[in-house]
Amino acid sequence: MMLRVAAGDRRAFALLFDRHHASVARFALRFVGDRERAEELTQDIFVKLYRNAKSYKPAAKFKTFLFRVATNHCLNEVRRGEYRVEHTSTEVEADEGGLEVAGGEGDRPDQALAGRELERAVGEALKAMSERERAAFTMCRFEGMAYRDIAEALEASEAAVKSLIHRATLAVARKVEELQTGSVPARSRA
Amino acid sequence: MSCPFEEDLTAYVDGELPSARRAEVEAHLGGCAGCHGTEALLRRTVARMAELPEYTPSPAMRREVLAKLDALPPSLGERLRALLKASVLVPAAGLAAVAGLALYTAAPNEPILEVADAGTLELAMNLEVVEDYDVVGLENGEDLEVIANLHELEVR
Repeated sequence: MMLRVAAGDRRAFALLFDRHHASVARFALRFVGDRERAEELTQDIFVKLYRNAKSYKPAAKFKTFLFRVATNHCLNEVRRGEYRVEHTSTEVEADEGGLEVAGGEGDRPDQALAGRELERAVGEALKAMSERERAAFTMCRFEGMAYRDIAEALEASEAAVKSLIHRATLAVARKVEELQTGSVPARSRA
Repeated sequence: MSCPFEEDLTAYVDGELPSARRAEVEAHLGGCAGCHGTEALLRRTVARMAELPEYTPSPAMRREVLAKLDALPPSLGERLRALLKASVLVPAAGLAAVAGLALYTAAPNEPILEVADAGTLELAMNLEVVEDYDVVGLENGEDLEVIANLHELEVR
């Protein structure tokens, strides 16, 4: 498929976009914490992918290649100061319909509230961690990528990725525990 | 001070440790309350990630990306492909063939000008006068002499 994209086939590109844009948009959202910016970044990442399709080697997994492009783009944009990491407006976005609680319409309101509180805790933890920890955590937890693939996307060793993911997961775990300690009765914390 | 096994706990939860190390961590967890508690915390947290609100990107994004691609300047490959299209290539090749054939057939019969011939050069410089003589039908030398001395006749 990427070979067809490299040859300028727009229909092949549209198929790739349909298949992968939600993953990239999720990654960008976790990275910058703002829906509108995440969508701009996602568009830029796919345009970059189209323009650099010739550099793709069929030996590499496409998703790994895609996330290498996505990570580099997000890191560069954040470092250039064009995008600040927000992670403060998720509650507003949820009210505007940008974020939907997993499980759909049948969920109870208290479950939806718990989802939003969890989102806030994860968002705060993500904001506080390093960019590489955030990227590794996002690829691992939300895209289900293996450590080996994350290492390739980040151009790092597997040992380094193991360490990044451990620190990030521990930071999120402590933030979530903190939230539960503050808002949930002790009996439900068993 | 943290336990040396702690760094491996998340990879253990994720099933990313090699089997030998996994066995070591498992054995350690039975005797280390700190690591046992951290492992349980990590496992709960990983499980809770599935409860996070789902994000659905805007459906307009596809159209916007494709519009951005349309606005890109054509690459060298695309320009070459456009040039090599049959609708352009066939007439161009035909025209080139006709021009080549015309040059090939015309070139050998073309008279070559001897630049050393002073008379030919003078004729070329006064070609418009020769054409005038042709128009009035002057052919012999006497007529030409009369024309050359017309000013003397006018005085008389």
